[in-house]
Amino acid sequence: MYKTFIIIQREYLTRVRKKTFIISTLLFPLLYFGLIFGMGYLAENSKQVLNIALIDESGYFKQTELDQENAVDPSSKVSLVSSKATDVLRDPEAAGFDGFIRMPALDWQRGNDSIFLESKKSYGSGTTSAVQAKLNRIWNRIKNDSLSIDESQQAILQMSQLSIRPKNMEDANANANLAEVIGYIAGFLIYFILLIYGSQVMMGVMEEKTNRIAEVLVSSVRPFQMMMGKIIGIGAVALTQFLLWIGFVFLIYNVTKASGNNMSAASEIVGTMQEVITGINMPLILFCFGFYFLGGFFFYSSLYAAIGSAVNEDLREAQSLSFPVTMLVIISIALMTTAIANPTGPIAVWGSLIPFSSPIVMMARIPYGVPGTVPWWQLGLSMLLLILGFLGTVWFAAKIYRTGILMYGKKPSWGEMLKWVFRKS
Amino acid sequence: MSELLRVEHLKKYFANQKAVDDISFSVSEGEIFGLLGPNGAGKTTLIRMITGIFYPDSGSITFQGKPFDPIHDVRHIGYMPEERGLYKKMKIGEHALYLAQLKGLSRTDALHQVKQWFERLEMQSWWNKKVEDLSKGMSQKLQFVSTVLHEPKLIILDEPFSGLDPVNSNLIKDEIHRLAKNGSTILFSTHRMEQVEEICEKIILVNKGEKILDGTVGAIKQQFKQNHFRIGIPAPTEELLRHAPFDLIRTSEQQQIVQIREGKSTNDVLRYLLDQSIPIHSFEELLPSLNEIFIRLVGDTPAARQFQNA
Repeated sequence: MYKTFIIIQREYLTRVRKKTFIISTLLFPLLYFGLIFGMGYLAENSKQVLNIALIDESGYFKQTELDQENAVDPSSKVSLVSSKATDVLRDPEAAGFDGFIRMPALDWQRGNDSIFLESKKSYGSGTTSAVQAKLNRIWNRIKNDSLSIDESQQAILQMSQLSIRPKNMEDANANANLAEVIGYIAGFLIYFILLIYGSQVMMGVMEEKTNRIAEVLVSSVRPFQMMMGKIIGIGAVALTQFLLWIGFVFLIYNVTKASGNNMSAASEIVGTMQEVITGINMPLILFCFGFYFLGGFFFYSSLYAAIGSAVNEDLREAQSLSFPVTMLVIISIALMTTAIANPTGPIAVWGSLIPFSSPIVMMARIPYGVPGTVPWWQLGLSMLLLILGFLGTVWFAAKIYRTGILMYGKKPSWGEMLKWVFRKS
Repeated sequence: MSELLRVEHLKKYFANQKAVDDISFSVSEGEIFGLLGPNGAGKTTLIRMITGIFYPDSGSITFQGKPFDPIHDVRHIGYMPEERGLYKKMKIGEHALYLAQLKGLSRTDALHQVKQWFERLEMQSWWNKKVEDLSKGMSQKLQFVSTVLHEPKLIILDEPFSGLDPVNSNLIKDEIHRLAKNGSTILFSTHRMEQVEEICEKIILVNKGEKILDGTVGAIKQQFKQNHFRIGIPAPTEELLRHAPFDLIRTSEQQQIVQIREGKSTNDVLRYLLDQSIPIHSFEELLPSLNEIFIRLVGDTPAARQFQNA
């Protein structure tokens, strides 16, 4: 135990003292928020007004009505063109337009589903749908007039709707939208930890092997102690980074709260956070996050340690051997997206029980509510299976590690590594 | 001298070769013991079993009179493997401390020992340097210190001099003798024969996983001697050789290397030369070097070719 602790200590301190750790701990949240706000800012400022020529062969559209609509939604400007129509058709940009719509003769009872916004550049469906909505509002009025529906009737048609939202009987607080956001964040965080810190374990083991220090160590400590020391040490680094981030968030939260509610953006964040904290079962989510983070980390990093012990200094060898393991993590993320869309569906349930995907998938389901969406038995079974799962991978990895760490030469295949596992010692 | 290590009928087979095939030997306390053999002979596998890295397939290892227990006995063993390395980014002092603590020393004891050894080998100024800044010889020195600073009873050195310049080689050699004098037992594995002759008292020679020879260096030389002598006489004439009790092997102006014929003694040779009134300046027995014995014993195996080139 003492020796394992010495190893953990070294693995932890050498990493935490590195400049890259401090920089990445500080930069990651900055980059993360920078990305979110930066994208919002860019989207807000890069909106261009789309200038569309409408060549109306139906005779339904009037410039006055188009002007009204252009004022409501300034993201595009639709103007009737009749005199210069041939110029526009030939080259809309030379005629001063981004594109044109050639409106054919229309039957008001049928409409037309093959009208095109033609342009030299390509525009996405987001752009065209704004123009479509604009023209449809005018079209609705034309239909209403033709059917002699007056304004109060129109209001009834518009306002009177059936709206259906999910509500869990057993969980009064369940908030599906919030759960979705938290589920995504938790799932992705675990995904990043598994990949980033898993490969750190692999690199660490490879370093010991290529440095030729492995045999020196193995004559003092058991290979199992060496492997566990490395895994736990690096896991502690990941945990430290997380706690620091959580610390930052609470610091920012309290500072903004203390500085008063007059800053609109800041108070908005405070408001959202208060909603998050009161709206969901935060202690349970944090506990589960800790559990699945550790469980998933042990599960995957022991596999990565085994791979690191089997290969030589060549990074490509390591990549090709670790591909199946990395695929498991990526499949988990794919399962998570399905689970968030349908948190009680069979994929969500199975994905959150099977150990290789449960850390990511279960974390995405838990915010929907326990025991509402995730029954207690599922949570318990999932945790039990994950514990059994990582005990299994640690056992498996230890067998490979013991042989691999002192083996130089050709890269073994997964088949050979399996032989190392099932060979009697 | 009491026995420190006894190895009996040790076997370790890998999938495609018999790495160690029924080897037995024993090492006494305070002895400098040589484990010799060409590369691939099974030396490293044998050492890995003695250090508890591998379990033997069969056979037994007795350490300090009790069955070898890897978990507790590694505290009393210091092993410097042939494939040895250090963490490049660590500071030298911390590195030595780390390895000492992994042997089971407390931090205070480790610090005390490291300081003492650094002082003796004049390494104090290195403490805060990084390992990657060390020359090969310097890191070898650090490795040697790390191997011995927990005061092990058994020190196993696998090719300790590879890559060392003569000055550092001598420094390490002196340390080995000093450690042996203070009661440590040294198991020294190499394929460099001249070092073995210089340092070791007893040796065992392995080839292809099997023991082919063991004993003290002197006894082995006696066993393999070919009755070669160096005689300080002028180059002999045909006439002289015709009735001589020896055959001429090599000749020079003042010294002749001869082999005494079977059934004849050194006195027969001297008497013959005196009778012929030939002035004798010197008379000396030539024992074979371990290298010669080695090549004679393992020379026909492909793995041993390297010795003939060396």
